[in-house]
Amino acid sequence: MVEAPEDKLINLAEFTVNLAIKVGADEAEAFIYNESSIAVNIERGQITRSFSIQDCGVGVRVVSNKALGFAYTNIIGDKTAVEKTIKQAVKIAQVSKPDEEWRGLPIKKPYTSAASPFDDEIARLSSNELVEMASVMLKAAEGRDPRVFPIEGEVRASCIFKAVANSNGICDFDRGTVIECGLATIASEKGEVSPVCFEFNLERSLSVNPEWVGSEAARLASSSLNAKKIETKNKNMKVIFAHEAIQQLFHYTLVNAVKADYAQRSQSVLKDKIGEHVASELITIYDDGLLDGGLRTWKFDGEGVPQQRTPIIERGVLQGFIYDSYTAHKEGKESTGNAFRASYIFTPSVEPTNFKIFSGRKHPEELIGEVDDGLFVYSLQGAHSSNPINGEFSVVATPAWRIKNGEISHAVRGVMLAGNVFEVIKNVSALADNERKIGSIVAPWILVENVRVVGG
Amino acid sequence: MEDVLNRIINLASQRFSVDYAEARIQRISKTYITLKERRIETAKEGFESGVAIRVLLNGAWGFASTCILTMENLKNALTEACRMAIAASRQIKTPVEIAETKAIKDKVSVKPQKNPAQIPIEEKIRDLSSIAKTILNYDSRICGCTIDYLDIVGTNYFMNSRGTYIEQDMLYVWSRVTATAGEASILTFSREEIGSTAGYEIFDINHPENIGKKTAERAINQLKAKSPRGGRYPVVLGPNVVGVFVHEAFGHLAEADLTLSGSVLMDKLGEKIASENVTIYDDGTIYGAFGSFKYDDEGVPSQRTLLVKGGVVVNLMHNLETAKKFNVEPTGNARAESFKYAPIIRMRNTFLEPRDYSFEELLEDVKFGYYLKSFRGGQANLDGTFQVGIQEAYEIIHGEIGALVRDVSISGNTLETLFKVDAVGKDFELSPGRCGKGQTAFVSDGGPHIRVREVIVGGSA
Repeated sequence: MVEAPEDKLINLAEFTVNLAIKVGADEAEAFIYNESSIAVNIERGQITRSFSIQDCGVGVRVVSNKALGFAYTNIIGDKTAVEKTIKQAVKIAQVSKPDEEWRGLPIKKPYTSAASPFDDEIARLSSNELVEMASVMLKAAEGRDPRVFPIEGEVRASCIFKAVANSNGICDFDRGTVIECGLATIASEKGEVSPVCFEFNLERSLSVNPEWVGSEAARLASSSLNAKKIETKNKNMKVIFAHEAIQQLFHYTLVNAVKADYAQRSQSVLKDKIGEHVASELITIYDDGLLDGGLRTWKFDGEGVPQQRTPIIERGVLQGFIYDSYTAHKEGKESTGNAFRASYIFTPSVEPTNFKIFSGRKHPEELIGEVDDGLFVYSLQGAHSSNPINGEFSVVATPAWRIKNGEISHAVRGVMLAGNVFEVIKNVSALADNERKIGSIVAPWILVENVRVVGG
Repeated sequence: MEDVLNRIINLASQRFSVDYAEARIQRISKTYITLKERRIETAKEGFESGVAIRVLLNGAWGFASTCILTMENLKNALTEACRMAIAASRQIKTPVEIAETKAIKDKVSVKPQKNPAQIPIEEKIRDLSSIAKTILNYDSRICGCTIDYLDIVGTNYFMNSRGTYIEQDMLYVWSRVTATAGEASILTFSREEIGSTAGYEIFDINHPENIGKKTAERAINQLKAKSPRGGRYPVVLGPNVVGVFVHEAFGHLAEADLTLSGSVLMDKLGEKIASENVTIYDDGTIYGAFGSFKYDDEGVPSQRTLLVKGGVVVNLMHNLETAKKFNVEPTGNARAESFKYAPIIRMRNTFLEPRDYSFEELLEDVKFGYYLKSFRGGQANLDGTFQVGIQEAYEIIHGEIGALVRDVSISGNTLETLFKVDAVGKDFELSPGRCGKGQTAFVSDGGPHIRVREVIVGGSA
């Protein structure tokens, strides 16, 4: 797909830093992000389109009299455009307000990992090979159940190259690959339409299984049919949250609460609670920037600080928060390597790497077997409307199934779950052994007691 | 730019014999500012340019995007787009066909009273700092505030193989203000959003101090709010909640690509799907509204599209491909976030048309219910279930506004709920928003106050 442009990107990063200093910055940093991807899309049961996207740009952060300025461009073939961008960053710093708590860009530290996950096989994939994978996925879905209709899907392969340099001597390069195949389906029968059901594989190496994805996406949709409403209006129940539901529930609430900037700005209910029991003793969470095959595993973060493993919650007890350089300096601490940058456009912000909730020992079936009367919730609708500060949520569980006498009984619809995420993590009573990566979260299925269920 | 595009389009037709080709060059600059309390967390400017080339060949689409605009690289991108189309077409069962369009030549300039590109960044920082100052000085229980600002100014150069060439300026000004307040163990959160395609003069209409006051006031008031009861209740929805409902719960189902994918509207065209009080438009022609533009990213003129008339679905939102499938005219709803994306069907300014009720009349008959004034977020599924989270809500007791309630959300089935709209107010308001469908689109939505006989209210009490 592409050749590794290591020297070219490092040269551009160094050029940017040097020129920024030359035109008046006290400190300077360049972050270069280069992504090439090819993708094949499925739409309404057939492969109809494919894409090739190349994007490369440089973001420059400068400091002048303790004030920060930032500018970026993707017009990097043209030296004058890059120069204009650098000068603009310096100008912004000069008209901005000094930040008295600024303590400088990070200094060079040794990296703990040698290299990020990069798979040459992904880098070499052709559009024809992606079409083949998409076709396998599609056939697996269609072959599973005639009531299922694959509405959209994608197979995408990406190569990412990053370079970072700053005026404190940081200068490095990293590369990574990602492959994704995903399929959304619906099932319909006798006028009933299932919710859209989505299944996917997202990996750093070529270990995806398009056949499994297709078949599972179809199974989810067909087993969501014949859904019933819940008879009770308001009831507390046992609920098993599957991976995606966990990711949705935690992403907008718990994950924010462990970011140092939220705590420092009194926007986290976990503030000042280090050493206290904040969750069930079954809960252990690490932010693991070095996780083998992790979707956010990289050598360094958006500021060039080595990624690392950071304990967050150990057996229910809060251990600490995640930091970038700025928030760490404020507390006299070291950055935990959590300055995230999705591309050259963004300034660093505190975000988790791989937010790993440790698995339990129970087989998924065993977990279901423990529930006499409860719900199995695959995914949530509306989790993004949770209160991002206090953790209150009120969401629709879909697709979701009723569990009766330790077995999945039938699909349910129109079911809302309401509560508070910080109560949910205290009420965890069991974890399965089926860890899975979803976005920045790695988690197993989790059984929670006493979740308020509102039927309709 | 016309020359460059001409050479690419000619090459596509002559060398690759494409059925259709389009090329879109974009040159934009953006300003982003983020303030957290009194600190400027980010002040940045960005310069972007790139090209999107899309071809229809052998019945499949191929797309290539690159940010290097040399003639050699443009030719490579075209070759790549054709190669992608050929790969995709290998297993095509029903070849893609697109609707006919007329050739258009036009140059669309924006004429803002205050062009954000000409306002120095220090002035923008000053205005945003004034919002922050108002919030932080409002009450000692305010814990913090975050103010995000974005403006985009640039030009799109669009050409297709049917003789259309459009140069179209783009201009967006957007800001989101959030505040948090705390007392004892309670933390509350409040959000306001403004957006315009007219110009920086949006801050003259929505004065920074007023935005700050509104946001802070809500966060403080929420501290004394109580938890809602879960169950089925009658509700009165404010324009802002009507907007998110019309957009999320109904609008997505009426995007023809999603309709074809099996949304519950699939077999309902021409049928009654809502109470006769319900008339819904998607309108891209409202001056200054956040979802307005003159031409979409397939070169089709934007328009005012009537979707529901007196409860009956009369049209959907289309691009060239779905218009052909339904044998109708394209509606100008094909939009791409940037040159990195191919256009897909998106909403513009979507709203429910006002009727005749006053706010008091809407409340009058409600014995116990909720007044849902402002939303936090919403989401819907093709099967017609929706969820809308609310950031400001009150009890309605015997036709009067009662106590404030916190962290409410509502859900239900869209079509069932549309039938339960039993009264529609006479006021009107649009709110700006950003809609995600794999890409981000700037939109707005709204309507008057309305009353719904019954929805599910998710509450923890």
